Amino acid sequence: MPFLAKLRSVARNVFSPQHAEADVNEEVHAHLELLVQENLRAGMSSEEARRAARMELGGIEQVREQVREQQLGHWLHSIISDTRYGARQLRKNIGTTAIMVFTLALAIGATTAIFSVVYGVLLRPLPFDAANRIMAIWEINNKGGRSHLADPNFDDFRDQNHTFEAMAKYADFDGSVSGSVQPIRTHLAYASADFFKVFRVSPMMGRNFTPSDAKKGAAPVVLVSYGYWRQYLGSSQDLSQSHLKIGNAVYSVIGVIPRSFQFPKDAAMWLPTDLEGENTSRTSHNYLAVGRLRHGVTAAQGEQDISAIAQRIHATSSEQGDYLLKDALALPLQASLTGSVSTPLYVLLGAVGFLLLVACANVANLLLAQAAVRDRELAIRSALGAARKRLIRQFLTEALLLSVIGGGLGVLGAYAGVQGLVALAPQNLPLIESISISIPVLLFALALSTIVAAGLGTFTAARATSGDLRKGLVEGGRGQAGSQGSQRVGRAIVAAQIAITLVLVIGAALLGRSLMKVLEVNPGFRVEKIISMEVSLPWAEDPKTKANQGLFFSNLIERLKQIPGVRKAGAISNLPLQDGGGLPDGQFLLMTQNEVPKTMDGFAALFQQKDRLGSADFGVATDGYFEALGIPLIRGRIFNEHDGADSPHVAVISESFARDLVHDHWPGQDPIGHTIEFGNMDGDLRLLTIVGIVGDVHDYSVDAPPRPTLYVDLFQRPRSAMTVTMLSDAGTQSVTSAARSILHDLDPEVPTKFSTLPEVYGASLGSRKFNLTLIGFFGITALLLATAGVFGVMAYSVSLRTQEIGVRLALGADSRDVLSMILGQGMRTILVGVAVGLAGSLALTRTVASLLFGVTATDPLTFAAVILLLVGAALLACYIPARRATRVDPMIALRYE
Amino acid sequence: MAPEATTLLQGTLDLLILKSLATGERHGLGISRRIQQVTRGTFDVKPGSLFPALHRMEEEGWISSFWGESETNRRAKYYRLTKAGRKQLEAEAKRWGRISWAIAQALEAS
Repeated sequence: MPFLAKLRSVARNVFSPQHAEADVNEEVHAHLELLVQENLRAGMSSEEARRAARMELGGIEQVREQVREQQLGHWLHSIISDTRYGARQLRKNIGTTAIMVFTLALAIGATTAIFSVVYGVLLRPLPFDAANRIMAIWEINNKGGRSHLADPNFDDFRDQNHTFEAMAKYADFDGSVSGSVQPIRTHLAYASADFFKVFRVSPMMGRNFTPSDAKKGAAPVVLVSYGYWRQYLGSSQDLSQSHLKIGNAVYSVIGVIPRSFQFPKDAAMWLPTDLEGENTSRTSHNYLAVGRLRHGVTAAQGEQDISAIAQRIHATSSEQGDYLLKDALALPLQASLTGSVSTPLYVLLGAVGFLLLVACANVANLLLAQAAVRDRELAIRSALGAARKRLIRQFLTEALLLSVIGGGLGVLGAYAGVQGLVALAPQNLPLIESISISIPVLLFALALSTIVAAGLGTFTAARATSGDLRKGLVEGGRGQAGSQGSQRVGRAIVAAQIAITLVLVIGAALLGRSLMKVLEVNPGFRVEKIISMEVSLPWAEDPKTKANQGLFFSNLIERLKQIPGVRKAGAISNLPLQDGGGLPDGQFLLMTQNEVPKTMDGFAALFQQKDRLGSADFGVATDGYFEALGIPLIRGRIFNEHDGADSPHVAVISESFARDLVHDHWPGQDPIGHTIEFGNMDGDLRLLTIVGIVGDVHDYSVDAPPRPTLYVDLFQRPRSAMTVTMLSDAGTQSVTSAARSILHDLDPEVPTKFSTLPEVYGASLGSRKFNLTLIGFFGITALLLATAGVFGVMAYSVSLRTQEIGVRLALGADSRDVLSMILGQGMRTILVGVAVGLAGSLALTRTVASLLFGVTATDPLTFAAVILLLVGAALLACYIPARRATRVDPMIALRYE
Repeated sequence: MAPEATTLLQGTLDLLILKSLATGERHGLGISRRIQQVTRGTFDVKPGSLFPALHRMEEEGWISSFWGESETNRRAKYYRLTKAGRKQLEAEAKRWGRISWAIAQALEAS
């Protein structure tokens, strides 16, 4: 049977090729003999006969080769033999091979690690059903920025749209939960009735929200996460027994959400919105919103729909003013969550791509140098009948071997690298939990290795097999080795490496200087030795409970001051620089005592007067806070014991706020004594009298300018959740354990969380440090690789020219002349690289401008310093071989073959 | 000059080889000379084309080989048709007949 016969042939050709070879050999020789016989019978002499026979046959080897190529399984056999041969070659120069493999491993590993971050955060689809149909919906305020949604606006979006099949509002916050195994303070979410419908998630146990659960007066119900259910409800199968006390209400647990659903991030449970009724104001921006597009509707259509509704509200609402939305926008949820980090991440990917190029260039140069030495081998193989294609295939195979081994090692390294990256990354990196070496990342690594192999292989093959291969057979000839072209290519590669390295190192230097400048900024408060303690009492509405809570904090602070080592203590509503950006901002209204309106309409009228309005950050504090954090009192006073619940309410403002107020509203006057109303934040509409001015605080972030801030007295405007700050000389451990027991004495049900300001400060710089660490690492590695590259090419070039140098020295050239000749050539390459790199930097560093602080993207000082560093390193790398060149003994050099 | 056999399509060379073996076993040189003879010198199949074709056809299973002694008592590798080879010969010959008839028709048409 033909098929069996073919199979037998393949087996024979692959597994016992020698037998087949011998057979063919014999046959061809036999054929030759027959030809000779024929010729002899025709009357030729034996010599003629043999010669004629040879000519008619063609070449024996050629014929054998042609038969070989014809054979089935030949391709498989040749791949195997190519691989074995390639492996032998690599093993012969084990040192160089090790360097090449290591370089490739480093570069491919780093690129894979960074790609896994980019993929996990930016590219991998969110883990929801048809996640690309879920949109995030934002209001657009009058400054063009995004803001949360107000309840009536959300209702209009939901009810008037034609393009969404479900829409929900949600918010997340930290709160205390008790009623289960243990009271804890944890992350909670509010969600409207259709929230899980938008994500197409059904509870794994129990039931979902219905519209009647999320309205005023409804019986409070809650959906818990899988994690909470397991840990705190003991995986109970009977939820009817589970009731949780959250805030002031008791919620019945109606269902458990599957483990795979985690939105908002880290939410332990979801509570329905609007149990106290909706907020009727269109300017109280309370919620975030998501919606799922209808089938067949595009994102653009959805956006237009929402935008039209928003513009209608803007035109017709009676609540005109700065805080009313101007427009609205809908964008894919993933983009909304990760938009802010896409630029830095792509910059990182670009940077590591550069590193990869530099590394590949080094390997290419090494391969070129090796190929030059193999002239003779190539020439012989070509004479024996190897087609050029076959030789090219050989180079490709070797390059593939290198890349696969290097890539494999690199991926292994990337596993460790990714873990390191995730640990180092700012913890607020969106979707950080999605970063891992997954199948798409592995496929990427495979594709990358293949591309590298193809590039390197084709490049070396093209260089090595160009021109007439048989030149290599000429005795004493150098074939391709000493050709000008080959050297020029090597130098061009080095120039490219220098250019790329320059761009990388300049980028790293700019980021480094930015970080240094940020660290120099005075945050406006003391960072060292401050321990913070978050304390959240249950949310209270009635004045009596609130007043008691104020007393509670007063007691707590007094007792905390007794802890040995604690010098000062105070409380603030939100710690500066904390994740989430410090104090909230709101709208204030300037008015004097006799302007206070008697009715709500009067207030509305005042809000129409634009020049009375403004926005500022709002904080609730005790006087101890300013003392503990060393925020200076500029003028006037801070709160004291005379400021009680029944005395006129007072406030303290920040220095820049005071300056703005004087400039815009009270020119030539002292802001102290003026009154301001800031009820938008806590509902208390009583006027505040400004009694003091304190120093500015970088509350939001260190690299943003301080925002105008107003502080009210905790004991006049009580608040349930505060962060106590303690200035302590004693160690953190002793203070926190003492504080914990004090709190427990006062109220065992209240959970707390400790931190220190140095930690918070460090964390706020987290992403800056992350970017710098990575790009710095790439820059330094590229610098080392490029320097090695310069050294290698230079040394090689010198070794080729030994004869020429010997002649020059023998003819009377000074060793200095030789040195300057060689160095001069090296310098030319370096300068070309620097010039190209400079142009590249000027063009590219603009893309990192958003990451810089305190330096421009074209900072001359940084550029000059880096160029000097690079040129210095490269010159040193040139100098060593050049020095060696001058030591050449002319007699030996002239005899060098 | 007579055209080289390599300018022939691969299938046509196969056909000639199969036909030359139809009347009995031959060794490589014998096949080459036979083809030369019956085509009155038109096709001169060189070893460089003959051997690859022979080995390919052997792998296809149309011919089989064995070592034997030539007329001059030299060792030579002989080839013979297999049953599959005979069938292939018939099919190819018919196909060739159809093709040449068609071309002849085309050339005659005005």
